[in-house]
Amino acid sequence: MILKPPASLCKKCRWYDVIGTAGRSIPVFFRNNRLYSIADKETSGVGVRVNVDGKVGFSYTGGDKGLKTAMKRAIEIAPFGEYEDYSLPPVSDTPSVALDAGKLEETDSAPVLSAAEETIARILAAFPEAQVDMSVSYGSGGRRIFNSEGFNGAYRHSSFGAGITATIVAPDGVRLSVSEGVSSCGPVSYDAAVERLLWKLERACDVRRLAGGVLPVICTPKAFASLLGIVASGLSARSVFKGISPFAGKLGQRVFNESFTLTDDPLADGSVYSYPFDDEGVPARTKNIIDRGIVTEWISSLKYAARLGVRPSGNGSRGHSSLPEPSFSNIVVGGGDDDFNTLCAGVRSGVLVDQFIGLGQSNTLTGEFKANLDLAYVIENGEITGRVKDCMLSGNLFELLAADSVFSSERIRYGAALAPFALFPAVHFTS
Amino acid sequence: MTINATPRELLLHLQSVVGSLPCKYAEARVALNESTGIALSGDEVDSISSGDSCGGSIRIFNRGAWSFASFNDLSGIPSRAGALLRRSAMLAGTAPGIFRSKPVVAHFATRPARACGLVSFDEKFGLMRRYNGILKKPSLVQTTRSMYRDSRTFKLYCNTEGTAVSYERSFCGVSFTAIAKDGSLIQPFSESAAGFGGFELAQGREEMAERAAGMAVDLLHAEPVPGGTYDVVIDPHLAGVFIHEAFGHLSEADFIYENDRMKELMANGRRVGGESLCIIDDGSLEGLTGYIPIDDEGIVPGPAHLVKNGVLNAHLHSRETAYRMDEAPTGNARAISATAQPIVRMTNTYIENGPDSLEAMLDEAQGGLYVADALGGQTNLEMFTFSAGYGREIKNGRPGKLYRDVMLSGNTFQTLADIAMIGNDRAMFGGLGGCGKKGQSPLPVSFGGPHLLIKNVLIGGRNR
Repeated sequence: MILKPPASLCKKCRWYDVIGTAGRSIPVFFRNNRLYSIADKETSGVGVRVNVDGKVGFSYTGGDKGLKTAMKRAIEIAPFGEYEDYSLPPVSDTPSVALDAGKLEETDSAPVLSAAEETIARILAAFPEAQVDMSVSYGSGGRRIFNSEGFNGAYRHSSFGAGITATIVAPDGVRLSVSEGVSSCGPVSYDAAVERLLWKLERACDVRRLAGGVLPVICTPKAFASLLGIVASGLSARSVFKGISPFAGKLGQRVFNESFTLTDDPLADGSVYSYPFDDEGVPARTKNIIDRGIVTEWISSLKYAARLGVRPSGNGSRGHSSLPEPSFSNIVVGGGDDDFNTLCAGVRSGVLVDQFIGLGQSNTLTGEFKANLDLAYVIENGEITGRVKDCMLSGNLFELLAADSVFSSERIRYGAALAPFALFPAVHFTS
Repeated sequence: MTINATPRELLLHLQSVVGSLPCKYAEARVALNESTGIALSGDEVDSISSGDSCGGSIRIFNRGAWSFASFNDLSGIPSRAGALLRRSAMLAGTAPGIFRSKPVVAHFATRPARACGLVSFDEKFGLMRRYNGILKKPSLVQTTRSMYRDSRTFKLYCNTEGTAVSYERSFCGVSFTAIAKDGSLIQPFSESAAGFGGFELAQGREEMAERAAGMAVDLLHAEPVPGGTYDVVIDPHLAGVFIHEAFGHLSEADFIYENDRMKELMANGRRVGGESLCIIDDGSLEGLTGYIPIDDEGIVPGPAHLVKNGVLNAHLHSRETAYRMDEAPTGNARAISATAQPIVRMTNTYIENGPDSLEAMLDEAQGGLYVADALGGQTNLEMFTFSAGYGREIKNGRPGKLYRDVMLSGNTFQTLADIAMIGNDRAMFGGLGGCGKKGQSPLPVSFGGPHLLIKNVLIGGRNR
C-alpha cells in the first residue's frame, strides 16, 4: 500500500495524514441448522486529512488511484473546517502486539465448515427442537498511516470469529433465543461458547413469574459488556469537551465504587481490537481509565486531547472514510474476589440478566437505562429456578456502579470487552 | 474494466460476465457513489468530508446454496466470477430453488429539483450553520449536532434471466440534535428528515431545528414517567415505529420459512387484530425514504397487504423465501450496498387509516398516556421495545403533564390485539437513520400510521 500524495498538493498543507485500509474475509453462514451461504469479501480505501492554514479538511476514495483527487477535494473544503492547532505524531517506536496469528491464505475452508457443523450437531443433540444460526468468519488485512511529520507505520491483522444463535419457539409463540460468540486473531475453538449457550438454554426452559420491585440483579459478562457502552461514552474526551459527560471536571475524583477498575488495553495479545498505534499514528499504551473508582484519564484522539490540554491517549479510531473519533480499544473490567456461584448464593430473590432489548434507546448520557429483558432468569434462595420474561429493568448505571456493586473473579471476553459477572444489590424491575 | 468506464459500458460488461457462468442463477451488482457530509456541533465544525467509493458483487445460486463475492476493484470481475463458480461447485446446500421472474430492462432516475452535485459546498455549509444557530439559541442548550448528508449513486444490476437495470439515485437529508443541560440533568432531543431527491430536501427545515431545541429544553425538567401498565394513545410517528419493529420484522419470511411454529403463528388467515387493522409494506411509493424502483434481486415491488381487516394476509419475500413458501415475491430483497448480500427487508411500512378521531381516543384513554415521537425500537420477534420522545398524562380528554424517558414494551400479538381504536390521520416518517438487520445498517426505510389507542401497555421505570 503506497500512500504518498503528490508533492504539489503537500506543499499547500500545514500538515496532512493518509490512512489506507485493505482486507479480505470469508464469511460463512449456516441458517436453520444448515449451510446457507459462503462469501468472499474484499475491501480497500484511502482517506486523507489536510490542515490548510490551520483548518482541517477531509476526503476519501474507494481505491488508491484516486488519492490525488481525494487530496484536492480535502484542500478545497478545508477553509470550511475547524481550526485545529495540534501536531501529528512524528516517527516513533511503536510497541509490538500479536495481531496476525492466523493467515487467511493458509486457512482451508473445509475444516472451518466441519467444525461449524459439529457445533450445530452438538447443540441439536441437547435440544433437537432448536434452530441454530451460525456465522463463521476468517479474514486478514492491513492498515497503514502515513503523515507529513515522517510517521509511516503499517501492520497486518487477522481475525477469526463465530457467532452462534439457538432459537426455540414454543407452540404458544414464546421465543427463546440465546446467542454466544467468540473472536481472536488466530483460529478459535467454539467449545467454551457452546457450553455457555447450552447452560443458558437448559435453565430457560421453565418460565417463572416475579413480582415487580427493587431487586438484586446479576448481569452476566455479556449483559455487563453491553452496559459498559453507557459508561464508555461518558469517558470520551469528546463528551467531556462538549460538556455532556457527567464526569467532566472530575478527573482525579472518585465517582464509582472502589471495586470498579476500567482499563483500556490496545496491547492485549490475540484480540481483534488491539493495535500497535492508533489510526492517527499515536503509539498504543495500556492505561487505567477508572482506577478503583477514580477517573484517571480520558479516552482521546489528537483533536480532543488538544482541546482539553491532556496527553493523547492513543485512541483515535476511524475507517478510511471518516475522521478520527475517540474510541476504546479493548475494555477490561477488573475482577473481584468471589466467583459467580458465590455471588448467586447470596441472592434470596433476584434476577440474572443475559440479554436486553432496546438498551441503547434511553437517555444514556446521564447513565439512565431502561430495557426489556430478552433473556433473564429468576434467582430464588441462591438458585436459578427458571426464565423470567415480559419485564423491564431500569436504573442509573452510574449510580449502580457508585454503590455497592460486586464483581466476580471469572471474566469472559465479549467483543471488545473483557468483563466479569456484576451484582447490583438494588435495581428497579417492572413486570 | 475500470471505474472510468461509462455506466452503460459497465452494465454490458457485467451482463457478459454473468451470461458466461454455467449455473442455475447468477446476478451482479455495481454501485458508484459520491457523497458529501457536514457535521456541526455547538460552536465547532465536527467534520466535513467529500468522497467517492465504488463496489460490486456477484452472487451465484448453485447446488442449493448461495455463493457470493464482493470487491471494490472492478478490474478483475471475470476472474472473481470464475473463482466463485468453482467454490459454489464444492458446496452442498439445501435450498430447493428460487423464484424465477420475467426480465426487466429499464433505467430509473431520481428527479431532484436541485441536484446536490450542482450546489456549492459553501451553500450547503451556510444552510447547516443557520440550522445549527437555531439549535443552540436557547441558553440551556449545552451542545448540538447538526448533520447534512447527500449522496449520488449509480447502481447497476443484471442477472441470468436477462434483467439489466441502471438506477441513478440521489439522496439528501439533515438531522438535528440539541442537548440541553441544567446541573446534573442532561436531555437530548433529535429530529431528522431525508429522502430521494435533491438539495430541496435539506432546505426549509428551520421549524424542525426550533422544535428539537425547544423539546430538549422542555424535557429537561420533566419527570421520568412512572413504570407500570397504561392505556396509551400513540402518535403517527410512534405508530410507525411500532408497526415496523413489532410486526414488520415478524413478517419477513426469512424468519418464518423453515420454522414450523413461526409458520403457524404467521399463517395467512389468522386473525391478529380488529376489523379496522390494515398493515401494508410498499416499496413502490415514490418520494418516501423506503422507495425502491426494483429490489436487489431484480424484482419490482408493489403493495404487500400484510394484514387485511385484522387478518394475516401476506409476508415479505426474497426470491428464495417466495419459492420455499410458494407465495408471490414482493420485491423485498435489499442490500445495504452493492458489496452486501440481499436479505428480506421492509421498505415503506404503515398502518392504514381507521375510523376514529384523536379526540375520541383521548376521551377513551382517561388516566392513560399520550406518547409521541420516537427515539428508536428493537424486537426479538416476540417482544418489542420502543422509546418515545416524550409522554403526557391524559387528563380530561387532553394531553397534560410532560414526562421524559418513556419506553414501551410488550408482546407483539397481544399488543396488536390490544389496539382498541385507529385514527384517521396517517403520516409517514423517514430520516437520515434507518433499519438494521444482520449487520446491515442503516437501510433507508419509512414507516407511519395514524394515532392509535392501545390498551395495557407496559412502560418501564420506577414503579408508580
